[in-house]
Amino acid sequence: MRIARKASGVVAGAAAAALALTACSGGSGEAGAGDALDTEEEITLNLAWWGDDTRAALYEEAVELFEEEYPNIDVTTTFVAWDDYWTARNTEAASGTLPDVMQMDLSYLRQYGNNGQLLDLSEAFDVNLDVSGLEEELLAAGTVEGAQLGIPTSTNTLALFYNADVLERIGMEPPAEGYTWDDLNDWIVEATEKGAGEDPVVFGGFDYVGTLWFFMQRLIQQGIEPFTEDGQLNFSEEDAAAFLESTAELRDSDAVYPIERTKQIEPLTGFMVSEQAAEMTWDNFMAGYVAETGENIEILPMPSGDNGPQQFWKPSMLLSASANTDQPAAAATLIDFLINEPAVGEIFGTSKGVPATAAQRDAMALEPGSVDEEVTQYEEDVADLVTESAPLPVEGFGAIEAEWKRLHEELLYENVTVDEFVEQWFAFAADTMPAAE
Amino acid sequence: MPTTTAVPGGAPPPPSAQQLARGEGDAPAPGRSVRRYRPEDTRAGYAFVSPWLLGFVALTAFPMLASLYLAFTDYNLFRAPEFVGLDNFADLFTDPRFLQSCQVTAVYVFVGTPIKLAASLGAALLLNTKHRGQGVYRSIFYLPSLIGASVSIAIIWRAMFIDDGVVDQIQQLVGLPAGGWVGNPDMTMPMMILLAVWTFGAPTVIFLAGLKQVPTELYEAAEVDGAGPVRRFWSITVPMLSPVVFFNLLMETISAFQVFSSAFIISGGTGGPAGSTLFYTLYLYLRGFQDFRMGYASAMAWVLVIVVGIITAVLFRTSRSWVHYTGDVR
Repeated sequence: MRIARKASGVVAGAAAAALALTACSGGSGEAGAGDALDTEEEITLNLAWWGDDTRAALYEEAVELFEEEYPNIDVTTTFVAWDDYWTARNTEAASGTLPDVMQMDLSYLRQYGNNGQLLDLSEAFDVNLDVSGLEEELLAAGTVEGAQLGIPTSTNTLALFYNADVLERIGMEPPAEGYTWDDLNDWIVEATEKGAGEDPVVFGGFDYVGTLWFFMQRLIQQGIEPFTEDGQLNFSEEDAAAFLESTAELRDSDAVYPIERTKQIEPLTGFMVSEQAAEMTWDNFMAGYVAETGENIEILPMPSGDNGPQQFWKPSMLLSASANTDQPAAAATLIDFLINEPAVGEIFGTSKGVPATAAQRDAMALEPGSVDEEVTQYEEDVADLVTESAPLPVEGFGAIEAEWKRLHEELLYENVTVDEFVEQWFAFAADTMPAAE
Repeated sequence: MPTTTAVPGGAPPPPSAQQLARGEGDAPAPGRSVRRYRPEDTRAGYAFVSPWLLGFVALTAFPMLASLYLAFTDYNLFRAPEFVGLDNFADLFTDPRFLQSCQVTAVYVFVGTPIKLAASLGAALLLNTKHRGQGVYRSIFYLPSLIGASVSIAIIWRAMFIDDGVVDQIQQLVGLPAGGWVGNPDMTMPMMILLAVWTFGAPTVIFLAGLKQVPTELYEAAEVDGAGPVRRFWSITVPMLSPVVFFNLLMETISAFQVFSSAFIISGGTGGPAGSTLFYTLYLYLRGFQDFRMGYASAMAWVLVIVVGIITAVLFRTSRSWVHYTGDVR
């Protein structure tokens, strides 16, 4: 009897605690992002990002500086790898518990924005958030239908990397200035021929048509905007098939890095293990490539297309605040600190891309020959080529991008033809993306 | 215990030893209730089971009902679920990747499970013989089962089967065509089945316990009648062991349908190469958490529940003809 009463008490207590805990997340909504930050109130902010341990150490350093400057704000941090990051965020979004401040990617901005998950940060402009250091086009990349849902922290653009040490070993010159996509294909074939005698065998490149971004790059060079304003595909099945066919000869003659080997060394690539002479990707991969190969990595602009060598800037990542945050003013302040504070620019260097604000770019210690110096130099060099703004990916971009990559794998294993690839991908896209309104 | 005084011709005799042993000695005397029903006991009972009840309702029952509802909706985690009737189920059977995942899982279950059971029975027979250090062998054979489902083993497995991994080097030594299995869609299924077979410890232990139960008189009698080891195995061991075989078959079949973590790790979460490790549960996960088709994923989950249910029912039905319980009269 006595036990029973006690036990009921415990249960009641637990229930009350649960109620209290859930009540905590109810949100007060007194202060908006545009109200001045209260420097007395004890505030806790959650900050989440994707990345590895190296990036985590940099973030922790930056957060420490922030907490020194704003002693009343305590920042709790979490980080995971890219894939798990979105699983976690999606689940939180469904329950309305997104972190106060989070790293955001262009591929997901529209999806979160369209569903009302993100705070319109324009309210905080000139109060808690100074965006005067960002170029207008770049800032615009963080808007969806007029709302500033993300602030770009840094930029990147596509690039061709080559391993100068590998080229020397196989006796090859890098692609000549002004090279075209066709030139690149010929170059890959030649490099693969010359690398056949190496141990392990060296290939010229990978079958790059498996990356949707390269297709978008190529479309832009053909004068085709990949997506429409209202978030629909703006290219045809013929466009996609032509792009996939453009490297058919490389696949048929085994001139590209074999998929069997790629699957075995994932998440590394042939380029990272020095078995591939060149690879195209985002320019902020430079630091990783140098660290992984330990060799001399050089960087070139992307190949030229039919209408010339146009490239585009992409915000390599953005910072967003949750629409449900209890502390919009503090969240905006944290974002402001992370994008403007020179010391933060010095901490991150180009590891997230070239910083978006001049204040942070200038603060980087650019030692001649360092990775940061080379990447920054590259972005200065290609600035003239950047005549296009980044295509704002459609809602569901993450899924259609992954499906493109998956079908390409099937293509390399010869389980599908180019026509089947195109047919299946368009069907998947129609199924995944919201229909036009 | 009622205190009894021997009143000649009056009170009943004191309880016998047998009655006491059966717990009958304490029977309340008529008209004297020792324990009454007390509502507090019920309340205490509920209080004690409440942690489990809360967990069951909040973490099992409610999510199951929710997923049943979601199976009939279009739900992307962000927008409110939209009722679409049987569309998800209809879509399943025109989805080539769904059909592929069914095929991959079916091969794994219907090829892998019998091999695993045969291997574990073989190991149990070896471990049942009398040898020095048999206890050590038993522990060693059981060890993989303790760690087999873990992430670390999946990672090691992957490392063993890549180019120049242990397996590739052995293949080169014996002059078989070399090359890693991980990147070859034809070889990933054998690799997955080997991993499953290698973790045969749990069914082995159950088989071993079953073997110990077979009365030795039966073997002795058969030996006297001139039965050889093979005949003894098929005529005594197999029938006597059939309930244990049935139990293991059920458990291993059901768990084979649920394989996820090893495929997730070995394929880097993609079900690759070329969909060759796209197990049912992995595709379900990808549909839910990569493509955000939660309604579709829920429909898949319920199809799996129904299929596993049907297979279990069929196994029970067939068991009548091949499972022999000691003492059955037929």
